[in-house]
Parts: sequence; C-alpha cells; structure tokens
Amino acid sequence: MSIPKLEFPPFHLPPEAEALRGEVREFLNETLPKVKSEDRFASWNTFSPQFSRELGKKGWIGITWPRKYGGSEKSFLERYVVTEELLGNSAPAGAHWVADRQSGPLLLRFGSEEQREAILPKITRGECYFSIGMSEPDSGSDLASVRTRAEPVPGGFRVNGTKVWTSGAHRNHYCIALVRTSGQHGDRHKGLSQLLVDLKTPNITIRPIINLAGRHDWNEVTFSDAFIPESCLIGNEGDGWLQVTSELAFERSGPERFMQNYYVLRELVRVLGRQPAKRAASILGRLIARLWTLRQMSVAVAGMMQGGKSPVIEASLVKDLGTIYQQDLPEIARVLAESDATTEEDMADFLDTAQYATMMAPSYTIQGGTTQVLRGIVARGLGLR
Amino acid sequence: MDRETRDMLLETADRFFTERAGKDIVNGVEKGVWPKDLWKEIEEMGLPLIAVPEDKGGAGGTLGDMLAVMRLAGSHAVPVPLAETALANLLVAAADGVPATGPSTLALGDVVFEGNRLSGKVDRVPFAAVAEHFVTIANAAGRPMVAVVSASDASVNEVASHAGEPYGTVTFDNPPCEFAEISPVSVERAVELAALMRAMQMAGAADKVLATAVEYSKQRVQFGRPISTFQAIQQMLAELASFVAATIATAEAAARDADEGGLADGGRFSIAAAKSQTSEFAQRIAGIAHQSMGAMGFTHEHILHHYTRRLWVWRRDFGSETFWGEKIGTAFAKAGPQALWPSLTASRYAS
Repeated sequence: MSIPKLEFPPFHLPPEAEALRGEVREFLNETLPKVKSEDRFASWNTFSPQFSRELGKKGWIGITWPRKYGGSEKSFLERYVVTEELLGNSAPAGAHWVADRQSGPLLLRFGSEEQREAILPKITRGECYFSIGMSEPDSGSDLASVRTRAEPVPGGFRVNGTKVWTSGAHRNHYCIALVRTSGQHGDRHKGLSQLLVDLKTPNITIRPIINLAGRHDWNEVTFSDAFIPESCLIGNEGDGWLQVTSELAFERSGPERFMQNYYVLRELVRVLGRQPAKRAASILGRLIARLWTLRQMSVAVAGMMQGGKSPVIEASLVKDLGTIYQQDLPEIARVLAESDATTEEDMADFLDTAQYATMMAPSYTIQGGTTQVLRGIVARGLGLR
Repeated sequence: MDRETRDMLLETADRFFTERAGKDIVNGVEKGVWPKDLWKEIEEMGLPLIAVPEDKGGAGGTLGDMLAVMRLAGSHAVPVPLAETALANLLVAAADGVPATGPSTLALGDVVFEGNRLSGKVDRVPFAAVAEHFVTIANAAGRPMVAVVSASDASVNEVASHAGEPYGTVTFDNPPCEFAEISPVSVERAVELAALMRAMQMAGAADKVLATAVEYSKQRVQFGRPISTFQAIQQMLAELASFVAATIATAEAAARDADEGGLADGGRFSIAAAKSQTSEFAQRIAGIAHQSMGAMGFTHEHILHHYTRRLWVWRRDFGSETFWGEKIGTAFAKAGPQALWPSLTASRYAS
C-alpha cells in the first residue's frame, strides 16, 4: 500500500519565540483593558486602527519582513506566536490582519520595488489596511472563472466588474484585485493578473453587504471604467493565478482557523464555576483536549514550513478540523451552560454569547476555502483523484 | 537510541510483523490459539526490553523509542501483549529490578500491600489469560510499590475483550511476589503511561484503517468505475483522514512530551489530552471507514475489524475521553478562565 503518510512531527517553538510570547503578553495586559469589551469578541474581525498602531509601534506587524521595509526580520515562528497571542487574548487585531498575513507577503514576493517602498512600511506601522479582491458574484470556490476585466489603455488599465464579500473595503485603503487582463472568460488560469487598487479611486463604488448577524464586514466593490495606473500591476501581467494560489496558502493553517471563537471556551470556563459536576468537567475537558490537539497540529505545520517543506495537505486538514471544532464549540457550550452554569444570570449572558458565536459559525467552513474544496485537495493527496 | 537506529529497528519490525503477525495469527488469538513462535521471535528481537537499560539486559532505548514501537504494533494489530510487557518491564527496571522473561501484563487498579500481604482485584486486565506475569503498583502504606506476581499465583477470570483478546479479571490474595520494591512511578502515573501506550497504538490502528479504506476504494468497482472516483467517497475519505491525522498528531505530541519530561511526570497534561482526543475520534474513524467499505468491511473475513474493534476497545482501556476529560476539565475549571490560555500553550494542567 502506498498512500502518503500523514505525519505531524511534534515541534517546539524555539526559545526566542517563547521569549517574545512573554513580551506580547505583557503588552496585551497593559493595552487590552483600554479596549471596549464588545470589541474583543470578534478578535481578528474587529477593526481598531488604534490597537493596530500600538502593535505596529512594537514592531509586531510585518515582523518577518526586511528592515528596509519596516519589518523586524524575525522568523515565521515568532510571527506565529504573536498571532496566537492576539487570538488567545481576544485582541481587536482586524484592521491590519489581512495586510500582515497575505497582502504584505504578496507584495514582498511579487511587487515592484516602488510598491514595496510605498506600502510595506505603512503596513508595519499599523496604518495601512487591505481587502482581498478575489471573489465575484459568479466566482466563489471556482476562482479561475473571474470576469472582472482590466483592459490595457495608455498608462494603465480600465477596469470593469464587481467583487463581492470584500471584507473591510469600506474602511481599508487598498484591495488586491484578481482581474482578467487578456483572453476570454473561458480561458481559466491564463490571462489573469493582480492589481493593487486604491479603494479611493474614482469610479469605484463600495456598497455594504450585511451578514446574517447584522454585521457590516462585507462589501460589494464595483468598478465602472475605473482607471488603475500601470504602476499598480503586481508582478507580471498574466501571472495572477500563480500569485493568487501562493496567497491562498498564507490563509490556511494559521491559528485563526481554530481560535476565532476562543472566547466561547474561556467564557464557558467562567460560567461553569470552579467546581463543576463531573459530567460538565468531562465535556469541558474534551473540548480543551481538542483545542490542544489542533494547536499541536498547527505548530507542527509551522515547523514543517520553517523547515522548507510545503505541507499543503496537512494545512488543509488543520483548517478542516479547526473550523469544524469552532462550529461544534458553541453548540456543546450552549447545552452545557443550560444545565451547568452556576447562576441564572451567568447562564443568560453566556447563552447570548454562544448564540452570537453560533450565528457566525457558518462562515468558518466557507472563508479561506470551503471544507468541500479542502477535502478535494486532501483526496488528491490521498491519490483518489 | 539515535534516530537512525530507531528508524532501522522500526523498519525491521514492520517487515517482521507484516510477515509473521498476519490475519491468521490475529484470528487465531481470537479463537484461543496462543502464537508461541511469534512471541518467541518478538523476544529474540528484544522488543519487550526496548526501554530497559542495558545493564538490566535491555536495549537501553528511551520511552520515546518504546512508544514508537507501540504505534507500529498498533498498525499491525499485533495480538500479543508486546506493549503491555514493554511498559511492565520498564516499570520493574525503574525500581531497579530485572525484568522477567515471557509475556507480562499490567494489573493497574486498587491493589494494596499491607502486613506483607498483597491483595486486590483488577478488572479488564489486557491479556490476563495468557500473561505469565502480572505487574502491579500497590499502595504500600501510602507509597507506591511495584510488584511482580507469577500468573500461577493469581486467580484469573477470563473475559475476552470485544476485539477478541484474552482480557480478564485478576485477583491477588496474598501471592508470593517474584519482585517487590518501592516504585518511582505511582499507580496514577502508571495509568497515564498505559493510556499513552494505548493512544500510540490507536494512532497506528487509525493509520491502518485509513490506508485500508483508501486502498479498497481504488479497487472496488461499482457503476463501471472505482468508487474512489466518486466525489461522495472522496469527501468521506478526506474527512476520515482529518480524524486520523488528529489521532496521530495528538499521540505523537504526548509521546514527545512524556519522553522529554521523563518517566516520573513528563507530559502529564499532554497524555490526558491525547487519550481524550484519540478516544473521542475512534468512533468517527471506525464509522466512516466502515461506511466507505460497505458490507465487505463488516465481514469477519476482512481485516478492517481487526483495527476498528481494537479502536473501540482501546478507547476505553486506561481511561476513556470521559475519564481524561474530567481530569482536564476539573483542573481547568478550578484554575479559572485566566489560566486557560497560558496553560494550554505550556501544555500543562491549569493550576
């Protein structure tokens, strides 16, 4: 039998990363009490320029990037620690999140020197925020079917089309848009390019798309003969598909795939009190064991990446398991709190918290690659397709 | 042993188990046939003494080496008490004893040593009906004492496990001890180590279940094509892979923590989490694998049940997810919400 071995070699974060953890905790202990508590639920979905600027001052945004662009030239593993501490302490890290995780690294890898110098230092200062311009009304999981067209004109491109689910476009500065610069709609991976789009560009209209929880995170971004200068092409014309797939890899295996609603678990511990009944303790302990396992898997993937491997299947498995855990958590916690919260008041408060988490939960297995698409990737890895 | 030596040993043992511990041997044990030659060869390879120091006749390997062999044994459903004997021998050696030869097992439970008398009754002792020695950790006036009792001096009531292995209830009523000494390992710790042993065996079995289901899907033709080409099957097997991956990852992480932290108390929280996690996912693994293989996988003829039945038995052995979850939940609740994240990242019980 020859199927690829699934291995997650246990990995220790190195001492310098653990030392940084202490510094991050100290910073968060001082900073977070000043943040409104309702802003602490959504963590990496909460937009707080003030918090991002404070984090930028510490040098913890773009932490792995070269110093000449404002980075700190630290390792990917130190970045991992900063990320998980932000999530584990429910910090409002949403403003800079996408810029730090994928837009900045994309510019660093494929952008022009001019683009890097103009933008990366601002990102590291916590002053410049990005949206992802991939999805369209007719292009979800099938990203290669994008229709937004950038027609070459003197000095740049004339762009027409619509992007959707564009998180934060109403308050972010830029969006990296995947567009068709040549060929036809049916050409799939050929003829696609990425453009660095200033969201204040004339002829771009941004309209809210409210989600089921009543939040305005998403937008519809419409380009109607919007002119984008040639200097805003990222990488080479026609390389958009290659670039976007590398960008997606940044999105998959990080701790945000199992820590997004960590506050539910922490609040559950609070409402169960210091001496829960055996059955309640057991259910709580099982949830903690699942979260610990996910963290071990995610750290192992980080270790493999640091070692120069590209664990695509392993990263997909972490997202699959992590997002399912995050959907199970509010449900298990809700039922447990109803029977075992120490006071009626605690129970009522917690049920509101859990209800909110339940409403947000469907998004986890959709964003960053649906579970079904990920399982397709895993099936290919198993040699089934 | 260094990584290279361990890998060579595992490779040799893998080939050996493939050749000598096949389907017929596993089915034979279920019918009550003790595979005498298999055990003899396992002893000749030195596997039961892998973690025993060289000056006590062992191979001088680490806890980690021993656990790696247990995972491998799990992936072959090796139907003899190799894992139990290796751990029992390690416990004896840790109290400065020289391990006995022959298959041993662990009788861990409520056993006391009072007025020079060993007494107690332990249920669900693995391989109780075939072991030649029982190794127990008794409460000797508040101190742990490791004792070795010859099988002929204890009474055994065989109750086969649902995987067909000769488990049973063992009763000690003032037997002579082949060895008795104060133990650096408490009975609670011995149960932890045994739970880790089972978690590693479950990782091996889970791996084998996935390989078996994937292989079957490529060979089984329905509607004119291999069922592996159907999206429904692909999605099921990818989901199965996620549970198998979690099982392997959690067991290996706990094995690492136990190995690095040492025999006395290494990886206490990690072991609890790993046994909770492996036990909790055992049914998901067995359930999906059986569904993907249809009626074939439900027959006694097929080997799938050698692994799925063991997963179902092993998840209960030395504490299920209910048992370990309660230990974790009790400690974390007591410490309160602020201790949760720092403890989780340090892989420690909250305190």
